[in-house]
Amino acid sequence: MVDDIKRKLNRRNLIKASGVAGITAFAGCISTSDDDSGDGDGGEGSDGSDSGGDESGPYSIGMVDSLTGSLSAFGERNQRGKDLALGRVNELGINGQDLDIIVEDSGSENQGGISAAQKLVNQDSVPFLIGAVGSGVSIAIYESVIQETDVVQLSQNSTGLNLTDFPGLLRMSPTGRAQSLALANIIADDGYDSVALTYVNNDFGQSLTDAFVDAWDGEIAYNSAHDQEQSSYSSVMSEMNNSGADAWLFITYQAEFTTMVNEAFSSGYEAQFYGADSAQGSGVLEGTPEGSMEGMKITLPSAPIEQENYQAFASAFEEEYGQEPTSWAAYAYDCVINAALAIQAADEFTGAALQETVGRSHDHRASKCRPSRMRMRSSPTAGGPRTSTTRASVARSTSMRMAIRSASYRS
Amino acid sequence: MSVLELVANGLIFSSILVLGSIGLSLIYSIANFANFAHGDTMTVGAYSALVTFGAVGGLGGSVLGLPYGFFVALLVGAAMAAVVAIVTEKVVYESLDIGSIGLLITSIGIAFIYRGLIQIGFGADFTRFDIVALRPIEWLIPYGIRVTHHDVAIVISAAVLVGGLHVLLQYTDLGRKMRAMADNPDLARISGIRTKRITLWTWVIGAGLAGAGGVFLGLFNQLAPRMGFNLLLLIFAAVILGGIGSIYGAMLGGFLIGMISQLTPVLEMVGIPIGIEYSNAIAFVIMVVVLLVRPTGIAGEAT
Repeated sequence: MVDDIKRKLNRRNLIKASGVAGITAFAGCISTSDDDSGDGDGGEGSDGSDSGGDESGPYSIGMVDSLTGSLSAFGERNQRGKDLALGRVNELGINGQDLDIIVEDSGSENQGGISAAQKLVNQDSVPFLIGAVGSGVSIAIYESVIQETDVVQLSQNSTGLNLTDFPGLLRMSPTGRAQSLALANIIADDGYDSVALTYVNNDFGQSLTDAFVDAWDGEIAYNSAHDQEQSSYSSVMSEMNNSGADAWLFITYQAEFTTMVNEAFSSGYEAQFYGADSAQGSGVLEGTPEGSMEGMKITLPSAPIEQENYQAFASAFEEEYGQEPTSWAAYAYDCVINAALAIQAADEFTGAALQETVGRSHDHRASKCRPSRMRMRSSPTAGGPRTSTTRASVARSTSMRMAIRSASYRS
Repeated sequence: MSVLELVANGLIFSSILVLGSIGLSLIYSIANFANFAHGDTMTVGAYSALVTFGAVGGLGGSVLGLPYGFFVALLVGAAMAAVVAIVTEKVVYESLDIGSIGLLITSIGIAFIYRGLIQIGFGADFTRFDIVALRPIEWLIPYGIRVTHHDVAIVISAAVLVGGLHVLLQYTDLGRKMRAMADNPDLARISGIRTKRITLWTWVIGAGLAGAGGVFLGLFNQLAPRMGFNLLLLIFAAVILGGIGSIYGAMLGGFLIGMISQLTPVLEMVGIPIGIEYSNAIAFVIMVVVLLVRPTGIAGEAT
């Protein structure tokens, strides 16, 4: 009898504890990795003083990046761009000081991003935050952490359409609306009038899909969301095959897309694939069988590749890393340069002062970062892609600026 | 798309879940706490197999599309998972005297450690075994079933392992002692059973099964540091549904949860407009309903 009671108590406690532990586990889902780049006295920057860097130490700003999780490939690209920019900035210095960027990991999830941002804003007291990659993550950070403060938030890679609704949330990358329009055009041009589409169940996937559905004239045979980081998407692939459409559109991330391609291959499904930029990467090519994505087309936002200062940036990037830069690395580079210029132009190193110099204004939508408002003195980073020109060319008409790449994966 | 195809998919996914949930249930009933590091034990097994398979290679022939080297890697993966579990048990869990909830929270920390070490060693990006992907089996396609030889191998191997466990539990001395310990550890100790040794063996078997499950998960999908953790919620649901403390319940629970999560498209075929993004939610709702009707889970207290 006593044993029964002991057992019952154990089980009740187990269920209670599982609930508590589950919540704790998910709350602690981020792995924070402090990355103090900059030189010798980098440590002084984050000592909890009100303005994160004064005359005695470097200027400390924060960065929330997707170092792990579905978007880790973007995280890597960003780190390369950011490191290159940081090297450039610190060669010349800002008002005699170095720039120091404290990087935290969002884990490609909203909760992780919020924890990372909280740590940067509350503990490290940064007045400027570069973040994040995922659109939902950026919005979550803005709503939960940044909105009540005067910290400047500048997203490096978020393309979800909903960021435009938050005037205080700036971004360097263009809105995904152009991608959706381009996809609708490409699929129509290829002669398909019926498409089956699936999208990742977050802000990015939903907003791009909504824009696509608006732009698409033909029939949508299938439209469904799927969760991130699942072990199997066979039901999605079965349903897409069942829908009868020959054009399949994937607005999802690399790991999820790899799983889907493999499942389509091993189920013997054949169709013409299309995707947003987030679905492509070296991991996808390595992880899928030869010929499984034959003739797939993706759309990808482009940096202004014809411009001189971009080309200078590209050659510096290639020298440093031995590979061509992606647009994402260029956007991250721009964010750092932008921050440096804003800091130099500001009267003091506080969020309020930086809001002015980074060019935020109530009349402008969040998708345009307006450093042209800034009084540009002789920039310390003359070699890199000037943010004003990048922004201008991006804003001019992103639909025309779409670099449409036909990626024929290993014919 | 036929129901048979969905059932086949469910069978394959269930096999992996079952391997995970049995291990978890074993460890709960004998070591007496819920091991939150179980999912990451699967990850450890998978990555050990990755390293082994890379080192050993194909080893000549193959069966069901899987080279012999893969089966060697499978054994090594299971063994490594067991070794890691034993080391953790000896270094961490054994010396703690804090009751089952404290151990549960400790295991959460251990899970982070496993995952962090793997990430340091292998990076955060996903990867796959170097095995050629296969097309579906020809003669099954007319029935609407689209599975590859790899999937068949997964199901057969899982069946062999589960069958082996059943034989072990029912017909061997060790199995008898394990069942005795699960039932009443104090009485077992009084009647001369060495509980510490049995606990170690339980860890070996439980973690070994988890490691094997991880290897199959890596074959079925892909390897990433979070692969096991992402499955942990479903595994816990399977164990709770089947009845905590019951091995056969865990098998049943794993099977049911796996089938339900893959059979969700049937709802739309029947006319209920619930999309497949809710498949996990449906599995959990059914688990809650079963618990309301039968609070001890389906198989309750029996081992």
